[in-house]
Amino acid sequence: MAEFEVEETPHNDSELLKITPLGAGQEVGRSCHLLEFKEKKIMLDCGIHPGISGLAGLPYIDFTEPEKIDLLLVTHFHLDHAGGLPWFLQKTTFKGRVFMTHATKAIYRWLLSDYIKVSNISTEDQLYTEADLEDSMARIETINFHEEKMVGGIKFWCYHAGHVLGAAMFMIQIAGVRVLYTGDYSREEDRHLMAAEIPAVRPDVLITEATYGTHIHEPREEREARFTNTVQDIVNRGGRCLIPVFALGRAQELLLILDDYWANHPELHDIPIYYASSLAKKCMAVYQTYSNAMNQKIQKQLNISNPFQFKHISNLKGMEHFDDVGPSVVMASPGMMQSGLSRELFESWCNDRRNGVIVAGYCVEGTLAKHILSEPEEVVSMSGQKIPLKLSVDYISFSAHADYKQCSEFVRAMKPPHVVLVHGEANEMNRLKLALNREYEDDPEPIQIHNPKNTESVQLYFKGEKMAKVMGELATTKPKHGDKLSGILVKRNFNYHILAPSDLSAHTNLTMSTLTQRQSVTFTASLSLLKYYLHQLSDDVVVLPLSNGREGLRVFGAVTVVKEQNMLLLEWTANPVNDMYADSVLAIVLRVDTDPQARKIPVQRIAKPDLNREFRERLEVMLEGMFGEESFKDPTSSGPDQINLEVDGFEIHINTKTRVVSCAGDENVAEMLEESIRRLYTTIMPVETV
Amino acid sequence: MTSIIKFTPLAGALNEGPNCYLLQVDEFTFLLDCGWSEDFDMDVINNVMKHISQVDAMLLTFPDIQHIGALPYLAGKIGLNCAIYATVPVYKMGQMFLYDLYQSHHNIEDFDKFTLDDVDSAFDKITQVKHNQTITLKDKGLGLSITPVHAGHMIGGTAWKIIKDDEEGEIVYAVDFNHKRERHLNGCSLFESSGETWSGKPPQLMITDGYNAMYQQARRKLRDEQLLTRIIETMRGDGNVLIAVDTAGRVLELAILLDQLWRDTRSGLCAYSLAMINNVTYNVVEFAKFMVEWMSDKIINSFTDQRNNPFHFKHLKLCHNLGDLAQVPQPKCVLASTADMECGFARQLFIRWAADPRNTVIITSRSTKGTLSRTLVDDPTVSRLKLEMKKRVPIIGEELDQYERNRAAKKATEVKVFEEESSDESDAEEPVNTIQNRHDFIVPNEVPKKSGSFFKQLKKTFPMYPFIEPRIKWDEYGEIINPDDFRMSNIIQVDEEVKAEIIKTKMEVDKTDSNPLQSVVEEAPTKCVTETVFIEMKCTISFIDFEGRSDGESMLKIIQQIKPREVIVVRADTKTTKYYAEAIRKALTSSGVEVFTPAVNEVVDTTKERHIYQVKLKDSLVGTLRFSNARDSEICWIDAKVDCSENVNDSSKVLTDSQIREAKEIADKEEFTMDHDGEDIIASQKSSNAINTQVANIIPSLEPLSIEDTPGHQTCFINELRLSDFKQVLTKEGYQAEFIGGVLVCNNMLAIRRNQQGHIDLEGTLTEEYYAIRDLLYQQYAVV
Repeated sequence: MAEFEVEETPHNDSELLKITPLGAGQEVGRSCHLLEFKEKKIMLDCGIHPGISGLAGLPYIDFTEPEKIDLLLVTHFHLDHAGGLPWFLQKTTFKGRVFMTHATKAIYRWLLSDYIKVSNISTEDQLYTEADLEDSMARIETINFHEEKMVGGIKFWCYHAGHVLGAAMFMIQIAGVRVLYTGDYSREEDRHLMAAEIPAVRPDVLITEATYGTHIHEPREEREARFTNTVQDIVNRGGRCLIPVFALGRAQELLLILDDYWANHPELHDIPIYYASSLAKKCMAVYQTYSNAMNQKIQKQLNISNPFQFKHISNLKGMEHFDDVGPSVVMASPGMMQSGLSRELFESWCNDRRNGVIVAGYCVEGTLAKHILSEPEEVVSMSGQKIPLKLSVDYISFSAHADYKQCSEFVRAMKPPHVVLVHGEANEMNRLKLALNREYEDDPEPIQIHNPKNTESVQLYFKGEKMAKVMGELATTKPKHGDKLSGILVKRNFNYHILAPSDLSAHTNLTMSTLTQRQSVTFTASLSLLKYYLHQLSDDVVVLPLSNGREGLRVFGAVTVVKEQNMLLLEWTANPVNDMYADSVLAIVLRVDTDPQARKIPVQRIAKPDLNREFRERLEVMLEGMFGEESFKDPTSSGPDQINLEVDGFEIHINTKTRVVSCAGDENVAEMLEESIRRLYTTIMPVETV
Repeated sequence: MTSIIKFTPLAGALNEGPNCYLLQVDEFTFLLDCGWSEDFDMDVINNVMKHISQVDAMLLTFPDIQHIGALPYLAGKIGLNCAIYATVPVYKMGQMFLYDLYQSHHNIEDFDKFTLDDVDSAFDKITQVKHNQTITLKDKGLGLSITPVHAGHMIGGTAWKIIKDDEEGEIVYAVDFNHKRERHLNGCSLFESSGETWSGKPPQLMITDGYNAMYQQARRKLRDEQLLTRIIETMRGDGNVLIAVDTAGRVLELAILLDQLWRDTRSGLCAYSLAMINNVTYNVVEFAKFMVEWMSDKIINSFTDQRNNPFHFKHLKLCHNLGDLAQVPQPKCVLASTADMECGFARQLFIRWAADPRNTVIITSRSTKGTLSRTLVDDPTVSRLKLEMKKRVPIIGEELDQYERNRAAKKATEVKVFEEESSDESDAEEPVNTIQNRHDFIVPNEVPKKSGSFFKQLKKTFPMYPFIEPRIKWDEYGEIINPDDFRMSNIIQVDEEVKAEIIKTKMEVDKTDSNPLQSVVEEAPTKCVTETVFIEMKCTISFIDFEGRSDGESMLKIIQQIKPREVIVVRADTKTTKYYAEAIRKALTSSGVEVFTPAVNEVVDTTKERHIYQVKLKDSLVGTLRFSNARDSEICWIDAKVDCSENVNDSSKVLTDSQIREAKEIADKEEFTMDHDGEDIIASQKSSNAINTQVANIIPSLEPLSIEDTPGHQTCFINELRLSDFKQVLTKEGYQAEFIGGVLVCNNMLAIRRNQQGHIDLEGTLTEEYYAIRDLLYQQYAVV
């Protein structure tokens, strides 16, 4: 039977790394994940569910305590990643720091402002107001791609993620363990964005999106051709083409494609393309400015002219400005047609066969865009009426999420021991998990794939060896087995250093200080009297030669006592031992000064104190009390350091110098006596200075 | 282990020459900057050439000539081939600086130091990085990493940190930094007390300049006011203002400042014109627009909140040549490059405007000794100035005929000789040849009386430049607009003067060929003439510091905060260097700093025996530790026994990077020695074994000592107490505390003093408060 030992539990809490999706666990939308390790809490993204409005659309924040979160990292500006941020910053007790990239912050401001306006119409229970959003801006800090930041021992930096302008993947390092959170990413370079980078360092845990599960995107050229052909078909048959898109992100890519296509096809020039988004217009400046986050191609182009100045696309302010005559192409937000302009246009166009809608992005379950993909006979309008669905519905995915191929390559490139799948529908996620598992079935380095549900934690254990670096004076000699090592251990950001105190300021930002204490107390008696008593306290009392007639003593080699008129000045360098010495010296001082009995000491004794004689006298008194007067043998036989006794026939010899007792025949008596003498000695004799 | 650190200045030490330093860290050699002087002193190049073969990487700090000037020469003429690291703005603006430098010289003389292609090929080698990005070096530099941090001064300005093995103190190369926040830049983040960019350890070595050590500038507000007054006074007096500034660095700060002044309706400036002129103005401003994220928080926030890009100028007109500038109505305030006025439009305008007492020339930087700007700064009252004036003039008359003849003849021979060669090549060579040929016969022909120094007695000023006074035409709607003014300047204009277009075309065409350059040259053959002119200095000269560098006092304070263990002072004249070195020694006496002041080519060897080894802390030991907090660290006293017994089979171990790297290093070394033995194949196998065994073997672990064995130790009080902080603590605890002559007096009974060395003195009579306050005082320290 093995014994249960508490120390032998395989893991302890300090090695536990916990990843908990508070949203986007086996679902898409409201991305929000909690990373906990070594008492650090990091929140990754704070989105809202596009399909659910109000508080219900938020991630499960109440599963954690916001005030304990140190850091919040936002990967990109999409609502399902940043939509809950103003609420989280303004309406919860969160006190930590928030980081996002420059471009994300710039667009976040306008995107959410637009979201507030749009949702104002549809829902009453606003999560936050424009004012909340503006206030939140001041709390958001920016980080440049590849720039390293350190917050309370958490080191993090970000890589380009493709997907949308400013989208980042965050690498987080705590105590040597690295976690990479991809957010949404795409490994495919498109017209303006670069492909997601593959980090040069290998993470221990990869939290990756699983949006597309095991699907594989069609090649970019094919997809673009299919898109442009579909658009052309619709307008050629005299229909109106609706492309519902997220105002920012993929829309810019589609605009670039359409503008380019129209430029190459003069026959289409009389068909207008509208882009119905004031938001996108506002954010064009951001696209023009943060070109550093785009690919090389576009940066070169930007040096000459601005590719985001479209020649064939006009901006549409709203329905009231839209002159709906004849064929046209309209891109309108929101992308999933939950409400707003794209919904309005859809409802007014949906019963004409010639018209067509092209769903170009990813759609979340529960939105109209997702619903019409199943080609229903009828749809329910905003006002609740059923309207027939006659227009053509095409689905061409332009959403820059990684497909199975990209995802699998990405995982293979980094070979993390653990992969956590998030941001994907349960079924898709399961398929991806199975596929990845199959891939690494026979691999010598197996990969563990996790796909936690919301609020379910993935618990991983990282047994971190605590390594310390010995530096400076202590490290001058190589360590040998059995050597003793004493020094100051400095722990900073999970790094340990061992240093000699004198090296502290050279190797750290810490400094050693010296504290001197000076205490004054009234004292009327003479210093020699004090010295007499101090001699009883300590065997280390030195008279200090002082100038101008003052007298001084040094007790325990640490406390200096100086008498000046009726004051006594005690001075010592502070440390716990010296403080204790000083306190005992003070006790003597106070006694001498206040106890009249204490002053009644014969002058000659003060002049020539002899503690050894006193000890001998007291010892004799004690022995007399113990064994009786008669036990003393002939006093002549006792030397100056020797007392001889005879008790019950045993001969006892006591050496008063060494305090060793020898007793022929009875060891117990000798032992007992030695203890008694030791006690007497420590009571009478002064304290030896260590 | 020894860590080799050797530092050799190749220029700019004990003088104000350009920055160019060689730094060897172990086996790896860095070239820190490679600047060139205004006069293209070949000594610098020759010096660099001696060492160029050993350079493994080059680190650039700022985009100006002072810091990158020699780069195209090295890349073009010597074939420099090493990694170069620079931030994105230094990369972009550096190109602008060099294009402008080339063009400024090309406009007036035959410039042979480098070509635009050299600039491009040099910049192709640059790896663009971001601030606070850690770059881990590979191969020879294994175990080294470099990090650029924000240094202010110019956009993208960098101080480099070189870190070895994550551990031993860093090496910091920080020159020309600016700690003050400016309009377009944040102050440098060299000494952030929050410790975010700083590892919390004082650096091993700091290489810094003493350029400003004995210099204090006026407060920014004062300087801004001075500038405004100067401009307004001059403009009201119907004079022009020439502001000599650099191409793409400090000019941004001034451009923003001036545009803001012009926007401000109260300033009364909007009636006058404001222009910026250099050969790449348009690109500089465009690039600046793309670099908002590198600028000050204020600009970033204003962009994020209101989408205001400060480089969308409202009043500042961008000019690329004097023709453009002539279109700008008088009186005008012109920002012109270069800051030293040795070449470029600033010099041309100066020559033209200096004789008019209404005009003002504002110099914004002291530049180096010997330059026109410095001459004027040092002696602003000079009444007459002798200047060498170079210009490029079209060839006419007889000369032109001869030129044509010569060229035809040349072409004929060329065709014969290079018949087999590709046409590209001969085309490319041609302009160079023609220029040289021209020069040969022009000198005796046209400028015999002007060129030599024999003719000093000629006091009359010569006609300076073909200058056409623009006649402004008006009609009832106001000035008649010239559509060319509003044309996007990237459209190629067939203007003989528009040399700036060459550059732009080059960038568009992306160096497919150099035809446009050639065509311009061929269309109008030109020659270069040099003349010495005497300029009557009638205009007002004033120097207003817009250099954007920290002043001497602040530099010292910053060093004091950083507390480096060794300092190397460069780039200041001997007197200033010595003064600064002494000041640093004095300021850092407590930590025993070593200060070096090497001369050019003098090697500073700060190689040190490294005392460092790694130990493993056993869980049993960690369990006994009781940490106390001190600043951002936790500390405790540790008494332990070294255990070298191997317990290798610890499979769950997570290796830290540095460990693996260390092991690899050892493995690599082994491989290296093996190579010598000629056993390559085995060596590589061994090295992989070495990784496995070394990692497990070399690290001893620490285990707790039994109580009897624990030696006592002197208690340490750790922290540096500031009395003012402690006063607050006392007040909070309800004690009366006040400063009387630097002594903190509590309840009129206790005195707390702090002496020079940081010792704290607690003095008082025996009272209860004494002990209570002492306890509070102790709480301010981590006591171990």
